[in-house]
Amino acid sequence: MSILEVNHIEKHFGPTKVLNDISFSLEAGQALSIIGSSGSGKTTLLRCLNFLERPNGGTITVKGSVIFDAGNPAMQIEKDIREKRLHFGLVFQNFNLFPQYTALQNVTLARELRAKKKNDESRETILQAGLTLLDQMGLADRANHYPHQLSGGQQQRVAIARALALHPDILCFDEPTSALDPELTGEVLRVIRSLAEQKTTMIIVTHEMAFARDVADQLIFMDSGVIVEQGDPKEIIDHPKEERTRQFLARYADN
Amino acid sequence: MFIPVTLSLLEGMVTTLKLFFLTLLFALPLGLVISFGSMSRFTPLRRLVQTVVWIIRGSPLMIQILIIFYGPGLIFGLPLLPRFTAALVAFAVNYACYFSEIYRGGIQSVPQGQYEAGQVLGMTKPQIFFKITLLQVVKRIVPPMGNEMITLVKDTSLIRVISVYELIWMGETYIKKGLIWPLFYTAVFYLILSGILTILLNQCEKKLDYFK
Repeated sequence: MSILEVNHIEKHFGPTKVLNDISFSLEAGQALSIIGSSGSGKTTLLRCLNFLERPNGGTITVKGSVIFDAGNPAMQIEKDIREKRLHFGLVFQNFNLFPQYTALQNVTLARELRAKKKNDESRETILQAGLTLLDQMGLADRANHYPHQLSGGQQQRVAIARALALHPDILCFDEPTSALDPELTGEVLRVIRSLAEQKTTMIIVTHEMAFARDVADQLIFMDSGVIVEQGDPKEIIDHPKEERTRQFLARYADN
Repeated sequence: MFIPVTLSLLEGMVTTLKLFFLTLLFALPLGLVISFGSMSRFTPLRRLVQTVVWIIRGSPLMIQILIIFYGPGLIFGLPLLPRFTAALVAFAVNYACYFSEIYRGGIQSVPQGQYEAGQVLGMTKPQIFFKITLLQVVKRIVPPMGNEMITLVKDTSLIRVISVYELIWMGETYIKKGLIWPLFYTAVFYLILSGILTILLNQCEKKLDYFK
């Protein structure tokens, strides 16, 4: 059974259709890459999964249960949405770390706030888990640094640890290296690659074609709000079937 | 002569300080309410609040003091408010409008991504406000707030138009007695007050310097 099933997602902003009949599914432990030019709807799709945008149509099913159905208002209550969001983690293009907290506090804050309400975890456990995550990101010695004291690559790795802290079923990346200087993209991509090796279920919106081809188990190419092609990454990147995919990839090869 | 003059000027300064602190006490929270109004998604409310802010910021505080003191009596035949109370109302409303714009600027300058990062981590709106955005807003508004507070120290002298005996009024009374220097001497008191404020505000800024 798929861990995630997205069916017929639609999203429009006013009269502009940004997502049109988007359907795909993802198996547990697999990585899905979404590629496409700016404005193709990739980011909006991720934002829909995290409920930063509400889809106007379609359903989202996680682990066999429908968590969102655009046709059912009872499924869109803010309080429930907040819980359902936690199926997904999101790593932003420009990190969005909280500047007034240290790297460790960034990672532990949300979990501490939840533990305070539910009283189910000790502070000690949460801090330890936070440190372990930072260690996995190669940032053990940066735990007490504030975001402005870290490089872009380090900030993004803290952001990945922060997203992992709440144990999401599916971790989403929105162009995680696009805001980084070229010499810093490697460290972030290495972390994502190691997550893939540990069988973390992931959706990665990216412009790094070589990376997508290498790391992803599945690839989706989007254009103007629709999925043009989906399947095996090597197959699509090396032998695109659709004209639009060919043109897109050719533009990238030129750059 | 120096010591009696100083003492009587200090007496005037008590009124000045009272007006200063009471204005802050009322205007700081009122300003926050007004700023929420001016950012409201309900257009008629937003327009109304923006218009009020425009009128208050766009007309002289001195006229506003006169209107609040004399207005109710002239227009509706109501009894006059006590002088100090009228002055305080005018100051609180006036400064709340200035503060509201500073709050608005501070709140709107926190990037949308901060709210979204909180949301995707399952935080509630109050958690996001108190744990994430509030301190960032405070950090951004300390310098402009400091500016307004220093202006407020000196604006208190305007209440002499409705004969509230504040610092400058006290200095002026000596002119009738043939002494001009006490009036100029009042400036020293304002300088000391704004000096203390400047030091406090600088400390505040330094405290928030640990993040960017």
